[in-house]
Amino acid sequence: MCLCGSKDNKMSKINPAFNKELEKFGSVNFNACYNCGNCTAVCSLSTEDNSFPREMVRLSALGLEDDIQASLKPWECYYCGECSTHCPQEANPGELMMSLRRYLTAKYDWTGLSGLLYKSLPVSLAAFVLTFVAVLFFANSVSYDLEKLLHFGHLFEGIAIGTIGLLILMPNVARMWYLTILKPGIKVPVSKYAKSIGELFVHMFTQKRALGCDDNQFRWFEHFILVIGYLSLLFTTVALNWFGTSSLFVVILGYVMSAIVFVVTVDFVGSRMKKKKEVSKHSQPSDIFFVVWLFFMGLSAFMVRLFIDLDILDSNKWMYIFHLTVLVQWALIIVPFGKWTHFLYRSFAMYFAKLKN
Amino acid sequence: MKEKNIQDNANSVPLQGLGVNFPLGVRGGSPIKNITYDALVIGAGIAGGEAALNLANTGYKVLVVEKDLSVGGKMIMLSKVFPTLDCSACITTPKVSEISRHPNITIFTESEVNNIHRVSEVEFVATVRRRPRYVHVEDCTSCQLCEKACPVSVTDEYQYGLIGRKAAFIPFSICSPKAAAIDIENCTLCGACEKVCPTNCIDFTMQPEEMTLHVHTVIVATGFNMFDPKKMPRYGFGEYKNVITALQMERELAPTRPFNTILRPGDGKMPDKIAYVLCVGSRDASVGNPICSQICCMYSIKQAQLLMGALPMADVTIYYINIRSFGKGFEEFYQQAKGMGVNFVKGKIGRIKAKENGNLILRYEDINEGRLRESEHDMVVLANGVLPNDEVNNIFGKEKLKLDQFNFVGQTDMLASPARTSMEGVFVAGTATGPMDIPDSILSAGAASAEAISYLIQKTV
Repeated sequence: MCLCGSKDNKMSKINPAFNKELEKFGSVNFNACYNCGNCTAVCSLSTEDNSFPREMVRLSALGLEDDIQASLKPWECYYCGECSTHCPQEANPGELMMSLRRYLTAKYDWTGLSGLLYKSLPVSLAAFVLTFVAVLFFANSVSYDLEKLLHFGHLFEGIAIGTIGLLILMPNVARMWYLTILKPGIKVPVSKYAKSIGELFVHMFTQKRALGCDDNQFRWFEHFILVIGYLSLLFTTVALNWFGTSSLFVVILGYVMSAIVFVVTVDFVGSRMKKKKEVSKHSQPSDIFFVVWLFFMGLSAFMVRLFIDLDILDSNKWMYIFHLTVLVQWALIIVPFGKWTHFLYRSFAMYFAKLKN
Repeated sequence: MKEKNIQDNANSVPLQGLGVNFPLGVRGGSPIKNITYDALVIGAGIAGGEAALNLANTGYKVLVVEKDLSVGGKMIMLSKVFPTLDCSACITTPKVSEISRHPNITIFTESEVNNIHRVSEVEFVATVRRRPRYVHVEDCTSCQLCEKACPVSVTDEYQYGLIGRKAAFIPFSICSPKAAAIDIENCTLCGACEKVCPTNCIDFTMQPEEMTLHVHTVIVATGFNMFDPKKMPRYGFGEYKNVITALQMERELAPTRPFNTILRPGDGKMPDKIAYVLCVGSRDASVGNPICSQICCMYSIKQAQLLMGALPMADVTIYYINIRSFGKGFEEFYQQAKGMGVNFVKGKIGRIKAKENGNLILRYEDINEGRLRESEHDMVVLANGVLPNDEVNNIFGKEKLKLDQFNFVGQTDMLASPARTSMEGVFVAGTATGPMDIPDSILSAGAASAEAISYLIQKTV
C-alpha cells in the first residue's frame, strides 16, 4: 500500500477530519478498524495483486484524499456485504466502500451538484419539487394540450440524453480518467486504450464482475435483467417512439420492458426498506430515490401506453403529467448527479483497471 | 468458633484417606439438613481449590461443590503453563490431593448449587443437587475392570473428542476422586460392569440427591467456558478434521496425552506445517465477544514452543492481530518463541478451506505487506477465546448477583477490593470475574479467601 500520495516524494499530510466529510456520504464507524485484515481476507473479489477493502479503510482513516481519488478499488467492490458481516470491530467496511463511491461520484462531477445532492436531503427534495413545479408550469402554459405534451415529452428525452451526455457525463468520465490515470502518472500506450476497449462494453452490459461475489448469482441476475430492461425501454421510447407508434411489435416490446423495470425494482425497493441484507442496512436517500424513481419510470410509462391503448389518456392527462414529472426528475437529477452514474463509473473503472495492468 | 464448627460438623463423617468426606445419609439417599459450613466454594478449579485451601488452613469448614466428576477444573487437563513451562498436572495434582484430603474440606463432585438464599445477615441456605454417579466412590478401587467390560464406546469429552471412552469409565488418569462413573445417557444397562466389579461398588439404584445446607459465606469460582468455533463456519471447525481447538492441542501435548505423540486427527499423519489462528471468538463483536481473552496469545506461543520440541522439523506459524504479552516474563517468552523459529504473521485469518489431502488453505491479509495471501498448512489450531460461565446467574434468587457488561461476575470495587461482589458475604475468585491466566487466578483466589476470612471474623464472632 502506497501511503505517499504525491510523486515528488513529499509525504502526504494526514487529515483525520476527513471522516467527518465521509460521514456526510453515509460512512458508518469505519474509524473503529483495528487493522486485522479480516475484511480483505473474506472478500471474494480481493486478490493478491488487488487487495481491498482494508486499504481503503486505512486511506480514509488517514484522510489521504489524493490516494482515494486515484483509486479504482471502490468501483471494483460489488458490495456483497461479507466484510461488514464478519468485521470484528463492526467498522462496516462495505458501507465505507459504498460511501467512497458516493464521494468519488461527487469528486468526478465538475458541477459540484452531485456532492450537494448527496450531502443534503433538503436540497434533493427541493430539486424534486422544483422540477415538478416546472413541469406543471409548462403543462399550464400549453393549456394541458395532450398532443403538445406528448410531443414535448418525446423531444425532451432526446435533447436531455444529448445534452446531459455531452455536458455532464462525458466531462465527468474524463475527470475520472484524469484523477485515476493521468494525475497519478500512469503511462499507458495509446494502442492499449484501443485494445482494452472491449472490457468497457462487456462490463457495461453484463456487470460480470459481480458474479465473483459469493452467494450473489441471483442478485446479479436481477440486476442484469433490470439493466437490459431499462436500456431497452429507453431505446423503445426514444428511438422507436413507443407512445406514438402504431407498430404492434414496438408496443408489445415497450410493455414487456416497462413491466420488467417496475417488477424487478419492487424487489430492490423492498430490500432497501426491510434493511435485512448487509447491502441495504445503511441505505442513503440517494439509493432510495434511484430505485423508487426507476420503479415510477417503468410503472408510469406502462400506464401511459395502457391509457393510450384504452383511449382514456385524454380524459386522464394527470397520468402523463405524472410520467413526465418522473422523467424530468430522472433525467435532470438522478442521471447526471445521482446514483445512475455508477453505470458509467463502474464500467469505466474496469476499463481503466485494465489499462493500469 | 472452632468448637461450634466441630459441633456443626458432627453428623459428617470424615473418611480421610479415601479422599472425600461423606456426610451421613448420602448412601441412604435422604436429604441432609442443618449442617453448617463456614464457606461454600462453588467450583473446584484452580481458583476454587486455592480459595478452599486458604480457608481450610485457617481453620474454617469449607464445602466445595463441583459440577464435574473430578476436581481440578481446566488446569488439570493442560500440558504446561506459560511462561515457566512447568508441568501443569504436576502443579495441580498435589493441590488437588491436598484439597481432597483436607479435614476441613468437604467436596461434592457431580453436584450443582441450585439455589442460595440469605436467611440472616450472616447465613445463607444453599440447595445442592448431586447427580447419581452410579458408583460408590469410597468402594471403588479404580481397577478399570468395568471399563474393559463395558460394550459402549462414546467420544471422550475429557480428551476433547480426540479419542473414545466407555460408558463405564474413569474420567481421566489423574482425576480426583479417582473412581469410575457411569455415563447413564449412553449406558445400555447391560449390567456387564456390575458383574465384573470386584467390590460391588456399581449401584444403578442411586438417585439424585438434594441437600439443604447452611453457609456463612460464599465464594463463586465458576470459571469460564471456551468459545465454540462452530459458531464461525468460515473456519471449518467440525467440518474439517484437521482443524482443532487449542484445548485439543493441549491434550495432544500433555504428559497424559492420548496418542503419545502429535497427530492430526484426519488421517493420523504427523503434521509438519502447523498454523495457529488467534482471536477465534475473542475481540470479535460479530460473534458477540468484543473483549480480549488474555490467555490465547501466550498459550499459543507456549504450544508453539512445545511443538518445536515435539516435532523438531515442523514449521509453526502464528497468525495474530496483536501479540499481547503483558505479564511477568511474557514478552521474553514471546521473544524466545521467535528465537526458536516460530513464524509470526500479522493478519486475521478470514477463511479456511480444505484440500482433498486434508491440508488446509488459510486466506488472510498480510498486514505488513497490505496484500491478500493464501497459505497451506497441514494442521490448524484455533486459539478459541474465553466466554463467561453464566450458569451462576440465577442461583441467588431474588437477591441477584450483578454481572458486568460481558456477563462475568461484577466486581463492585475492582481496584480496592477485587473479590467483592454486589452481594455482601459473596466473593468471587478466578476467571468468574473475567478472562485471566493461572497466576492471576491464584492471586484472585487468594484475595477472595482473604476477604472471606476477614468477613467471617467480623461477622461471626
